[in-house]
Amino acid sequence: MKAIYFYRLFNGLLVAVMAIAFQGCELDEDPGSSQLAVIPYETIAELELGVNGIYGQLRQASWMTTFYVNGWSGDDMTTHRASNKADFREYDQRFITPENSRSFNNWGAVYEMVRAANTVLANIEGIQLSDQAAQDRLIGETHFLRGLMFYHLTRIHGEIALPLSIVPDPEISLASQIQVYEQIESDMLMAEALLPVSSNLGASRPNKGSARAILARLYLDWAGFPVKDNSMYTEAASSAKQVIDNAAGHGFGLVDDMGSLYTLEGRFNTESLFTIAYCNDCGLANRKHGKLGLPADYGGWQETFAEIRFFEDFPEGPRKEATYHEAVPVDANGNATSDVANATNFVPWTEFKDQQNPIFRKIVGPFEDNTWPDFQSSRNDYYMRYAELLLIYAEASGRSGNVTGDGWEALNQVRRRAAGLPPTVPDASVDVTSGDIAELAFAEKKWELAGEYLRWYDLVRMERVEDALGGDARDPRVSIGTVFDENGNATPVPLTEPSNPILGSLGPDNYFAPIPAQEIERNPNLGRPAN
Amino acid sequence: MKKRIYSFMRKGCISGLLLALLSMQLSYAQQTITGQITDDTGEGIPGANVLIQGTSNGTVADVDGNYRISASPTDALVFSFVGYVTQTVEVGNQTLINVAMNPDIQSLEEVVVVGYGTRKKSDLTGAVARVSPETYENQPIARVEEALQGRASGVTVARANGAPGAAVKVRIRGVNSITGNNDPLVVIDGILGGDLSTLNPNDIQSMDILKDASATAIYGVRGSNGVIIITTKKGSGEGKINVDYFAVISEVPRLLPTLAESVGDFARIENIRRVNTGGNPIFSDAEISALEADGGTNYQDEILQTGLSHNLAVSASGSEGKINYFISGNYRDEEGIVINTGYEQLSLRSNIGTEIGERVSINLNLYGSRSKTQNNFQTFGNGQGSLMYKANTWDPTTPIFDENGEFNLRSTRGIASLNDNPVRTLTESDFQDVNERLNTALNINYKFSDHFSYTLVAGTQFNNITQQRYAVEVGDDFLPHTSFFNNKFNTLQLSNILTWEQDFGIHNIKVTGVQEFQNNTFQRNAYNSNDLSLPKGFYFAELAPNAGQTISNDFNERRLSSYMLRAEYVLNNNLLVTATGRYDGSSVFRPGNKWGFFPSLAVAYSLDDWVTNLPGFTSLKIRAGWGQVGNQAVDPFSTFATLRFNNYAFDGSSASAGTVLNSFENQDLTWETTSQVNIGIDVGFLEGRGNLSLDGYQKTTTDLLLNVPVLEVNGGGTITQNVGEVENFGIDLGLDYIVIEQEKLDWTSNFTLSFLQNEVTNLFGEEEVINGLFTAPGGQARVLNIIEEGEPLGQFNGATFLGTWKLSEAAEAANFGRQPGDAKYLRDEDGEIVFGAIGNGTPTLLWGFNNTVNFGNWDFNVFLQGVHGFDVYNIMQAGITGGAGDSRSFMASDQVNQWTPENETDIPATVQFFNSSRYIEDGGFIRLSNMTLGYTFNNLGGKEGSSVKVYVGGQNLFLITDYSGYDPELTSRRGNQGNEDVASGINVGAYPNPRTYTLGVKVRF
Repeated sequence: MKAIYFYRLFNGLLVAVMAIAFQGCELDEDPGSSQLAVIPYETIAELELGVNGIYGQLRQASWMTTFYVNGWSGDDMTTHRASNKADFREYDQRFITPENSRSFNNWGAVYEMVRAANTVLANIEGIQLSDQAAQDRLIGETHFLRGLMFYHLTRIHGEIALPLSIVPDPEISLASQIQVYEQIESDMLMAEALLPVSSNLGASRPNKGSARAILARLYLDWAGFPVKDNSMYTEAASSAKQVIDNAAGHGFGLVDDMGSLYTLEGRFNTESLFTIAYCNDCGLANRKHGKLGLPADYGGWQETFAEIRFFEDFPEGPRKEATYHEAVPVDANGNATSDVANATNFVPWTEFKDQQNPIFRKIVGPFEDNTWPDFQSSRNDYYMRYAELLLIYAEASGRSGNVTGDGWEALNQVRRRAAGLPPTVPDASVDVTSGDIAELAFAEKKWELAGEYLRWYDLVRMERVEDALGGDARDPRVSIGTVFDENGNATPVPLTEPSNPILGSLGPDNYFAPIPAQEIERNPNLGRPAN
Repeated sequence: MKKRIYSFMRKGCISGLLLALLSMQLSYAQQTITGQITDDTGEGIPGANVLIQGTSNGTVADVDGNYRISASPTDALVFSFVGYVTQTVEVGNQTLINVAMNPDIQSLEEVVVVGYGTRKKSDLTGAVARVSPETYENQPIARVEEALQGRASGVTVARANGAPGAAVKVRIRGVNSITGNNDPLVVIDGILGGDLSTLNPNDIQSMDILKDASATAIYGVRGSNGVIIITTKKGSGEGKINVDYFAVISEVPRLLPTLAESVGDFARIENIRRVNTGGNPIFSDAEISALEADGGTNYQDEILQTGLSHNLAVSASGSEGKINYFISGNYRDEEGIVINTGYEQLSLRSNIGTEIGERVSINLNLYGSRSKTQNNFQTFGNGQGSLMYKANTWDPTTPIFDENGEFNLRSTRGIASLNDNPVRTLTESDFQDVNERLNTALNINYKFSDHFSYTLVAGTQFNNITQQRYAVEVGDDFLPHTSFFNNKFNTLQLSNILTWEQDFGIHNIKVTGVQEFQNNTFQRNAYNSNDLSLPKGFYFAELAPNAGQTISNDFNERRLSSYMLRAEYVLNNNLLVTATGRYDGSSVFRPGNKWGFFPSLAVAYSLDDWVTNLPGFTSLKIRAGWGQVGNQAVDPFSTFATLRFNNYAFDGSSASAGTVLNSFENQDLTWETTSQVNIGIDVGFLEGRGNLSLDGYQKTTTDLLLNVPVLEVNGGGTITQNVGEVENFGIDLGLDYIVIEQEKLDWTSNFTLSFLQNEVTNLFGEEEVINGLFTAPGGQARVLNIIEEGEPLGQFNGATFLGTWKLSEAAEAANFGRQPGDAKYLRDEDGEIVFGAIGNGTPTLLWGFNNTVNFGNWDFNVFLQGVHGFDVYNIMQAGITGGAGDSRSFMASDQVNQWTPENETDIPATVQFFNSSRYIEDGGFIRLSNMTLGYTFNNLGGKEGSSVKVYVGGQNLFLITDYSGYDPELTSRRGNQGNEDVASGINVGAYPNPRTYTLGVKVRF
């Protein structure tokens, strides 16, 4: 067997032919399969998505009280004196640190929305889509929203940056106050030109009238501090008048029952000139109402309380009832109840165990509405109400020296409604036709807009901060609070001081909140005044 | 599936591989010789080499050690195998030659897997650590990470928390990346990108950890975080069956002290707090007396329990003819120490191999596992801290149930934590996170000759992670929410490996070439369905209003194409040189930036001849290496500006979708590159009883893929750029020593020590600090962590706590609006409170000390482990202390000594910051990780080789630390709080790490 020759596949000569064929390696990415990219719009649907995106960011910016934190600066509202409300207290006490996180978050959220608007404008530039009317409306809305956000921010901080492109500018500087106003004006004029005459009930989509109304507010500010261009009173008056004259066409007008505005049912109405809409069930809630206005006694978040003195001074009548709750209805166990008709007791604010301040009905809502146990709801924000427009007209016509019967009528419509009367039916018991219309309107606005985060801006523009907040201006005069001992025995004690004392300057040097420190750290240019 | 493979072939640069083989040889006057090659115990040695001396003709033994070779009577056969002394036998007229090989003790002939091949441990040039099952088989191990902890120098293993199945962080030689992931690459049986957490530790044959860049450069762009190479078991010889079972009882080592233990003090202090803030007392004296009599409710205690767990592992292995098999299964059922939490896993493995003819061997490894995590702690909540956090801060005066037996949903007085009753949340919620895996690894080896071989490695990993959640912790609407996520990760890999090795006299050369392609796809389909009108469970998601339902989808794909070449050269068994280069192309970067080259060079020199002249020494080797590796740690599509969706409801009742810019475009993005230099020395001493390995290294990571913050003015967010630099410097020490080696008694010690220094040497531009993403619960604005140039990663951000304002400082305090009794913090010259770095959570020193003593049939294991040089940001304690955020009431035990005008302590009586140095604690600790005692009964029923071992033990039996929380190792980052290495050491209520007691039995037959 040894002699047998055989072949074996074993460790010997070997020929291997190895053909390795490489195809071109496809290593390029195509994000289009799952992502939308920034490219010029080809359809109205894409444009619509982009514009909806701005609104989505608007709600993201506005759904919490952060958006209105400067409102606590006014003499109408205050917050808990301890608790985790330090950022609000800083505004309430006019001692706003550059690190205030509400300032910072609001600053960021507003600019995120500006970027969303700039994205739309970049992607539509030079593009003509098939549906001209829809394109005009959507571009009009984009300009409206961008102008509105610049305006929202400049009222808090004064000089701000004006980014108009989506390419980041890491060294962007602040624009001067006039430049800021001019940019807002330009956006609003563009919006007015492109928007339709009317939109929907409540104008959650703005129309021409919405844009003009914001211009009226802008011109009134422009005429006051810090620019003080008195000629703007004329512009404010004529702009307001223009909207009033076309109110029916825009779908605007006062509602008869002011109290209905601050309910779920009444959240879309003719009075709002531009509404930020919310939908709790859609995960798009509003987190500014309900328990945010209640003390801890009733599970409240102790965030938005009414100033005692302002409440004391507030003229009695239906408007005061629509603005405040003076007591909380409770059941037999002492818990707050929505069943107001069968409430066992009504606990006045002066007997709260937590901080003793009146409650805003505008914030908490009617107890019957049962939104008070929640911190989220579908209630809307009225960015500007028709009542404010009427009062702007009355005040601006007075300050521009062109007082007209229409001006008095505008003021009187607000006064009549405040008294529970039909707004458009003259009534000698409340109507005024003589005196300083500007000051009458200014005072009327104080009461009309209480608790709507707007009072501070009137104080700034007229440089009346010291008058409203200084000295004993905020000290309660007549309210009697209650001190409880460890066993719950009550002793009445007069309330003599506001819940949070003023800590900062009340002069014009402190009218504007500082630009957030984090932002200045990254870009020192934002810490330097505009040239 | 078919379609996917076609598409894979088409897209991928798959090499069409055609092998045509022809081989023939003419032999003269040959005789066939057979025999078995065995080790010193008589077991066959699979793969042992047989060579006809002076030729290149030879063969390899089969799985049982049997061989067959043709040779002439004048030939001599050379038998060799790594780890054994080579033997030469003259053929003569023999046809049966059995050889018993002797272990080669002197050369430490352990074979180490170095990636795309193996190497004798003595021939290593890079820093490679091996963890073999012998070092941990004496303790009950449920998961692989536990086996790694403390057993390899330079490897950091830290439990994120004590929840069953929770993530364990493994780091090799520190952290490089600030934005990207620092997880090491795991290679299981040649397939890249494996998962440690679901692997059955009983399946592991060896774990080799490639630490320095000269070793990891073969993995190029995926090598920068180190590589863990896992080889699973193969069967050989007579069939064997192993059954391991152990039961574990786990409990929380201790409860944190809070005022829930003395509810009367809680109520009194709450009254004082209310009066101090201008309010009124809410507890009457009578109520306080009643509470004291009743004792209140300690929610911490209420959500904790004693857990009972089981672990059963069964395996069968062996070989029949040319077929070898290893089949195993593992069932883990772990009950958490928090109520209604747990983890369950079932896994199966089948490793089958065979040889076809003399040249071809095929192995197919299949592994399937399914795990389910019940109520994953980390995914609960809404940014208000974990359930542990909520329980520790929950109102002790509110009972769990009201008088009707219904859960109290919130504190009845609106005090302490403002969140939902955690007992209810845990009892009624049902979060099931299911992780299903199927891994396949096919390995086909063809030997062209003894010197030249081709290996095909083809593998797939299919991984579905399904999360279905029914949440009863939803805010004020008190309606349940449901959510569902299905995440599919699919990986396909194909590697072609050619290896050529030959001796030329005193020269040995080995060259390895690799062509590889890998493709990863990710798909996600998810929905949320909120506000169910009935609390009936997950499967009633349809009960949500339409408006409460949202959907989301995602898809992305990542492809990597690679070529690698490695040359190893050995001169005279003394000088060892390894050079490698890998060329990787990645789909996630744009053309021009796709391809990167990653080289390395390592040299080692053995001084054995010289050192053996010194008394006590047996071997000495010095090593030096340099290499560059990459990190492609960006998601697909990162170079594009993309849009995301949002919603708005114009009519207040139905949402319309919108789009907004989500990211900024950066076409220039490319790899992060880490360059590493390593110098090491290996010393053997005392007749091989002791081995010491010491390595020093320096790593520099440049072109960091950093998320650079964009000004809020420009829309905020971040843009990913290649900027910044991180350095790591460290020393790794490994020492193995056989303390006692006698017939009936031996004692083996392993000691590892790692020293590590990390520094961010450069950020970008003029920037010196970047904010992290970790914020404290409940309205605390500032981030807890920052990244600071010139400092290690993991810096804590906060104010410096200076105690309280005293009566004598009343005037100064008033300048800042403060009064005596308020917290006092360091301020700058402008009077502003200074925020900045106040501590660091990255450890600098880690060690492990493992001892195994065998005495007759008894064995005893003690494993100690220590971590030092880091701080813990104990935000959990800040929350317990309270006075701020959503836990306003004071609950810390020491609050009874709070500041009063009469007793001016440094415990503030009013509102305080959570992020302050008051809550920075030294995290250093020493832990008794394991202690077990076992007894083995051998040869049961007279069956040779069979045994039964019974053991008892405990893990985490003691912890020596100054830290006041449960355990300083634990952190509690949530997914959206950024890179975990940038947030290490922050505790916001981590699931406590249990102390466990184990009873187990191991049966072999």
